Amino acid sequence: MENALIVLYGLTMLYISATGRIKAHVKMLFFQGILLFLICYFSADKTNLVNFMFLTFETLVVKTFLIPLFLTKILNKNKIYRDSEPHIPNFYSLVIASIMLFGGFLISNIDYQAFDGINPIYFGVSISSIIISLYLITTRHKVLTNVIGFIMMENAIFLLSLSVAKEMPMIVNMGALLDIFIVVFILGLLINKINESFEDLSVYKLCDLKDCDCDD
Amino acid sequence: MIKLIILFPLIACILLLVFKSAKLNKFILLFYAFFQFINTILLYFKGVNSLLIPKDAIYGYFKIDSLNIIFLLLLSVIFLGVAVYNNSYLKSMKISKDEFTYYSVAIIFFIFSMTGTILSTNLGLSWVFIEATTLASAYLIYFNKTKHSIEAAWKYVFICSIGIALAFVGIILLSIATGSEMNSLFFNDLYLNFATINPFWLKLSFVFILIGFGTKMGLAPVHSWLPDAHSEAPSPISALLSATLLNSAFLIILRVFKLMELTHTDHYARILLLSMGLLSLFVTAVFVYNINNYKRMLAYSSIENMGIIAIGTAVGGPALYAAFLHMIGHSLIKAAFFLTAGNILKIFKTKKIREISGIIKIDKVSGWLWILCFAGIVGLPPSPLFISEFLLLKTLIGKHYYIIAAVFLILLTIILYGIAVSVINMSFGTEKKEKSCECERKIEPIKDNFLYISQIVFISFSLILGVYIPVFLNKLINNALVAMSIN
Repeated sequence: MENALIVLYGLTMLYISATGRIKAHVKMLFFQGILLFLICYFSADKTNLVNFMFLTFETLVVKTFLIPLFLTKILNKNKIYRDSEPHIPNFYSLVIASIMLFGGFLISNIDYQAFDGINPIYFGVSISSIIISLYLITTRHKVLTNVIGFIMMENAIFLLSLSVAKEMPMIVNMGALLDIFIVVFILGLLINKINESFEDLSVYKLCDLKDCDCDD
Repeated sequence: MIKLIILFPLIACILLLVFKSAKLNKFILLFYAFFQFINTILLYFKGVNSLLIPKDAIYGYFKIDSLNIIFLLLLSVIFLGVAVYNNSYLKSMKISKDEFTYYSVAIIFFIFSMTGTILSTNLGLSWVFIEATTLASAYLIYFNKTKHSIEAAWKYVFICSIGIALAFVGIILLSIATGSEMNSLFFNDLYLNFATINPFWLKLSFVFILIGFGTKMGLAPVHSWLPDAHSEAPSPISALLSATLLNSAFLIILRVFKLMELTHTDHYARILLLSMGLLSLFVTAVFVYNINNYKRMLAYSSIENMGIIAIGTAVGGPALYAAFLHMIGHSLIKAAFFLTAGNILKIFKTKKIREISGIIKIDKVSGWLWILCFAGIVGLPPSPLFISEFLLLKTLIGKHYYIIAAVFLILLTIILYGIAVSVINMSFGTEKKEKSCECERKIEPIKDNFLYISQIVFISFSLILGVYIPVFLNKLINNALVAMSIN
C-alpha cells in the first residue's frame, strides 16, 4: 500500500513537470499533501501519539490546506495563471523528469549493505523528487513557479526524512515546520511586492543587481 | 546566564510590539546590546577553562564550550558597536514609528537567532536557528523598500532557503550514517559514538551540509545572494550580516568537520573546503575590478575572507589558528568598513565608486577610517589579517603545497590591487563637481560623532591585535584549537 502511494507521489512530480498551468501545480501540491498524510498514516509509529498527531497536523493541515490556499490567494491577486515558454519545453521536461524518476527507482533496487535501516523505495523516489524540483526551479520563469518548486522540494525532503527508520527530535521537527511555513509566507508577500514594483512576475525582471557599470 | 541571553530578546520583542514607541526602540536595542555583551563576558569568565562540559543549559540544548565562546564574544562586541552606530544612523532617515519598531524587532530576532545557532548543541536545532536568521534578516534587507531592495531580499530568502533545505538533506543523511542504534543529533553524542558512523553516508552528508551552510557562509559557488543582500541592506545591517552571520554558519561547518576528523574521513572534507575556499578567492579576484558599487566591493571582500578561513580550516595545524585569528580580525575590520560605508553613503548619497572622490577633504575622519579599514582588510601590516595570511602561507609552504600557495598569493595580490584602486580614488583626489544631469545631491559632512566611535574602537582594537595578541585572546584561540583537536 505504501509503495503504491509512493509511486503515485512520483507520478505527481511527472505531472507537474508536464504542465505549465499554475493552478494545476497548486492542485498537485494539495494532492501531494494528502499522499504524504496517507504515507505517514500507514508507516508511522502510532504508539508515539504526540509525534503521530504532529505529523498529521504537518501533512494534513499545513501541507494539504494552508500552503495551497495561500498560494491560490496570491495567484488570484496577481492574476497569473500560466508559466508560458519555459527554457525547456514541457514535453522535454517530462522526458527528463521521467529519466530522473527512473534513476531513483534504480537506486532503490541496488542491493547495497549501506541501505540497511532505510526504506529504499522512499529513498529513491524522494532523492529523484528533490532533483526534479531543483530542475523545475531552474527551467521555469515565474517567481511563483519557483516558490512552488521550493515547496515540492520541501515535500520531497519530508518524504526522505520518513525513509529513515528513526525520528528527528520533536523540537527540531517543529522548528523546521515553522521555518518552512514562514519562508513560504515571506516569499508570498515578496511576490506581491515584486508584482507592484516590476509589473511582471518573470524572474528575468529580477536582474537589476549585477556587477557591471549599470545604474545600480 | 544562557537562559537570560535566550529569553531576554523574546520578551524585548513583545514589549516593542506592544508599545511601539521610538524612544523605547532605541533604548531596548542599546540595552539588549549591553546586556548581551555583559552576559557574554560573564560566561567567558565562568566557562572558558573547561572543554565541552555543560555549564548552564535549557534542557541541554544550549551550552557554552571553548569553541563557541569566541563566536559569541565576537557577536556581542560587534552588535554593541553596531547598536551604538545604529541609533545615530537612523536619526536622519525619515521612517515611521511602525517601521522603526519592525526594524528593531527584526534586529533583535536576528541577533537572537544567531546566538541560538552559536550556543546550540544539537545539529538539528542549529539548522532551525540558521533558517531563522534568514527570516529575521529578510525584512532588514528589504527595509529601504526600493525596487532593488525587493530584488535583493527575494534572492536572499530564496537562495538561502534552498541552500538550507539542502543542508537538511545532509542532516537526514547524517542520521542515516549514525546507524540504527544511535538516535541523536547532539554534537557530543556524535563525537562520542563516532566509531559506529558509516563513512559512506557521512561523506555524502558532509557534501550537503557544506553546500547548505556554505550558502549562508558565503562560499563560492553558492555565494550569489551575498553581494546583492549586503549592498542593498542598510549599512548597520550589512555590518551585522558580514561580521557575524557568516561566522555563525562557519561554526556549524567546523563542528561537522570535527566529526569528519574523528572518523578519519577528513581528507575528503579538506579537499572540498580547500576547493571552495580557492574558488571564493578566484570569484572575488575576477569580479572586484568591474564593480561600481563600493558596498558590493566590500561584500565580495567578505566572500574572499570566508574563502581564506575555509582554506585555513582545510589545511589544519597552525593554519587553523590562522583561520580563527582571521575570523576575528575580519569581523572587526569588516564591521568598521561597512559602518564607514554607511557614513560615505550619508555624505555623498550614492553608492557609485566613480562619482565619489576626495572623501578626506570633505570628511577627514571618515576618509581616514576608509583608508585604515582598507589597509586592514587587505592585510597590510599591522593588520591582524597580515599575521593570519602569513601564517597560512607558511603552513602551506611547510606542507609542500607550493602550487596552492602560489595561487593563493597571486589571487590575494589581484584582490588587493582591485580594492586599492577604488579606495584610493574615492579617498583622495579633488572633489568632483556634480554631473549636470540626474542628480541634485547635496554633499553634507557628518555632524554626529556617534557615527565614528564604533569604527574607531573596532579599528584600533584590530590594529593592536596586529602588533600584540593579548594573552586572553591567545588563550581563547588555543582553547578553541584544543576543542577542535581529536585527541
